[in-house]
Amino acid sequence: MSAIETIDLNIYYGSNHVIKNFNLEIPENVVFAIMGPSGCGKSTLLRSFNRLLELNENARVEGDIRLYGESIYKMNPIEVRKRIGMVFQMPNPFPHMSIYDNVALGVKMNKLVESREELDERVEWALKKAALWDEVKDRLDENPSALSGGQQQRLVIARALAMKPKVLLMDEPTANLDPLATEKIEDLIYELKREYTIVIVTHSPAQAARVSDYVAFLYLGRLIEVGKTEDMFERPEEELTENYLTGRIG
Amino acid sequence: MLGRVLKEKLFLAAVFILAFLTVLPLFHIVFSITARGLPVLYKGGVEFLTGTLPPPGDGLGGIAPAIIGTFVLVFLTSIVGLPVALLTGIYAAEYPNSLIGRAVKVLLQIMVEFPTILVGLFIMQVLVIPMGSYSALAGAFALAIIMMPYVAVYTEEALREIPFTYREAAFSLGLSRFKVVFMVLVRIAKKGILTGVLIGMAKVAGETAPLLFTAGGANRVYFAGIDKPVGAIPLLIYNLVQQPYENYHEIAWGAAFILMLVFLAIFIPIRLSLKEVKL
Amino acid sequence: MRDTLKIFLLPFSGLVFGIFVLMLLVYFINSMEIFQKDGLAIYTTNQWIAAEDDPQKESYGVLAAIYGSMYTSILAVLIALPLSICFAIFVIDYAPGKLREWLVIATDVMAGLPTIIYGLWGAFVLVPLLKDYVMKPLYNHLSFIPLFSFEPSTGYSFLSAGVLLGIMVTPFASAIIREAYRMVPFTYRECVYALGATRYEATKVLIGYIKPAIVAGTILAFGRAIGETVAVSLVVGNTFNIHPSLFAPGYTISSLIANQFGNAFIYRYMVSALFAAGLSLFFIGLAVNLLGIYILRRYRYAG
Repeated sequence: MSAIETIDLNIYYGSNHVIKNFNLEIPENVVFAIMGPSGCGKSTLLRSFNRLLELNENARVEGDIRLYGESIYKMNPIEVRKRIGMVFQMPNPFPHMSIYDNVALGVKMNKLVESREELDERVEWALKKAALWDEVKDRLDENPSALSGGQQQRLVIARALAMKPKVLLMDEPTANLDPLATEKIEDLIYELKREYTIVIVTHSPAQAARVSDYVAFLYLGRLIEVGKTEDMFERPEEELTENYLTGRIG
Repeated sequence: MLGRVLKEKLFLAAVFILAFLTVLPLFHIVFSITARGLPVLYKGGVEFLTGTLPPPGDGLGGIAPAIIGTFVLVFLTSIVGLPVALLTGIYAAEYPNSLIGRAVKVLLQIMVEFPTILVGLFIMQVLVIPMGSYSALAGAFALAIIMMPYVAVYTEEALREIPFTYREAAFSLGLSRFKVVFMVLVRIAKKGILTGVLIGMAKVAGETAPLLFTAGGANRVYFAGIDKPVGAIPLLIYNLVQQPYENYHEIAWGAAFILMLVFLAIFIPIRLSLKEVKL
Repeated sequence: MRDTLKIFLLPFSGLVFGIFVLMLLVYFINSMEIFQKDGLAIYTTNQWIAAEDDPQKESYGVLAAIYGSMYTSILAVLIALPLSICFAIFVIDYAPGKLREWLVIATDVMAGLPTIIYGLWGAFVLVPLLKDYVMKPLYNHLSFIPLFSFEPSTGYSFLSAGVLLGIMVTPFASAIIREAYRMVPFTYRECVYALGATRYEATKVLIGYIKPAIVAGTILAFGRAIGETVAVSLVVGNTFNIHPSLFAPGYTISSLIANQFGNAFIYRYMVSALFAAGLSLFFIGLAVNLLGIYILRRYRYAG
């Protein structure tokens, strides 16, 4: 059973055909990278998985997307988003809330726990899972602006993990971080894949090579090639893929 | 060649002079009111703030009923007007492309400039006459209608300025739209919204026309209840200026000085903390 | 999926619409009486006969007020226009940083200042000033010109009201014009100067570029002026008078309502007459505002 499966997926922004006839299967508990040059629809594709695309009135989706076999369009979008967590390109912890409240928000609002103690436990658990607990355990009341970019991004990961989703979507999560912070996040991803399915959009083939088990190459909205990472990088089947990997395009 | 140079000099002179003339009245006004109003405060002492209106031609007494009235009115107006204002602003921000959303925005812009005397007359007809008397409540309703568009517009702009990524993050946590707006977005926009509220309150505290036929005015009674007539500083000034007595004119200057001071004390700090102000 | 947010918010927006519509209705309904009695003569005649004993002797016509509103508001705009344009030019092109900030703050303060303060200052400071230094000299030497022909006695006049309104509405026009002038693309400015224009000539071109914004600013300033009540009523003289001279006292629609309403209840038809006057102001205000907003919108989306 694949974690996410798209079936003849077509996405339009107004009259712009952004994702074309997309058929993809993402297996469970792997790190699945989606790579391609800028503007080819990677972020759009990612947002269709948790129906975040619907925040844009111009977006139209045709075809189906299945989460563990169930069509996400037959589910309440809120249910979908409870099962799928998301991390964004720019670290975006809510600026008006403390570190604790940031992690707790989703859990509290969706009433996933029943008591304050359980909430405390969940917050601690999530921050540990995101490898941030030791750095913030004494300042949970502080504002996230006191944290570095890398720490903020791990806070965002904790916020998503606190909901105990099955899938974690990451939209170029290290694009705005320095190399040291990037390395920490990539290590974290490696740790997390044992329990979660991680779909990571990246514009850096090098990152895809470092971090992922599978990789899909997108070009102008079309799925060009998909497969195990070692295979794709050593023996790409498509000329387009090879051109991208060697830097001739993108 | 000479003609061009001369034109240039005249132009620069005109621009400078007229720009200067634009703000000159402000300084003249502040100066005049201080010059004529401050001495009244000295002369009247603390009693000017605590006493009631004296008989014609006889001393300064005090303007306490008007001060109390202004507070009461601003308070009541906020209770009556803020919820509607905030929620309307939120609607305009959340549904900008819907028919009602766009209509609301246009309506708000119309109401911002609407002649305030007409609002007062309207409230008089629908509240004062059925109730049988002027009242603080009627005044508050009139002021609420006037305050509402300001607060709504500020609220809408504050919400619109929130970076889209926070909205995405909130939704991605599985929150309903209702919770995203009230638990996250509104809280992020708190400062902008609060600014709008304060500016709205400062504005209605200085309004006169809406109160002419609604609040009634109170000169000798400190406070009789929200269903009874109430005073207000602008209203008091308006009434006193039209009377022929010297001491009443003096009181008007003193009251105007207080009003101006309070207004500047609220408005200037808020204005300094903003990049720009919507008029 | 039901959008609970929309369902929750909608009634409040509906309430706002409802109040506006109700206002319009109230004005219509209360004007009915005078419409039935005199038809539209209420707007076309100039008289104000209030008879306590016999309602049939009452006769009202607010033409003087309409005339006064137009006269003073046009005057206000004529004053505000050059002031706001020059202010915008100075602030954007010539004023150094800190000065610019404080000038803009000053106009914002002027825009928000309680109008009664303008009224008080107008009545006790501006009017005597205008009377002694402007009106009397002009009357003494140039009274053959109709504009200056009325003898100024108290100084309460169309001129005083027009000047005061001009001072009050300039910040509003100025904000719109300033914003538009600021947004003129830098490349456009560069190229105009590159063609060898003097400052004067260049500015003329750039101002021409933002003409719609100037028009919109003027119209909105006009709308503000015509709706202003207390400041005007303290300086315009509150007299039924249709006279071309600047120095004559007069009425405006809003000051008429403010002034006459107190004792209107004694008479049979006066209340209705005043509502009819208010109705005309309602429509003028609405039309002017919509026009100004429309022009501004189109300009913003085109440029």
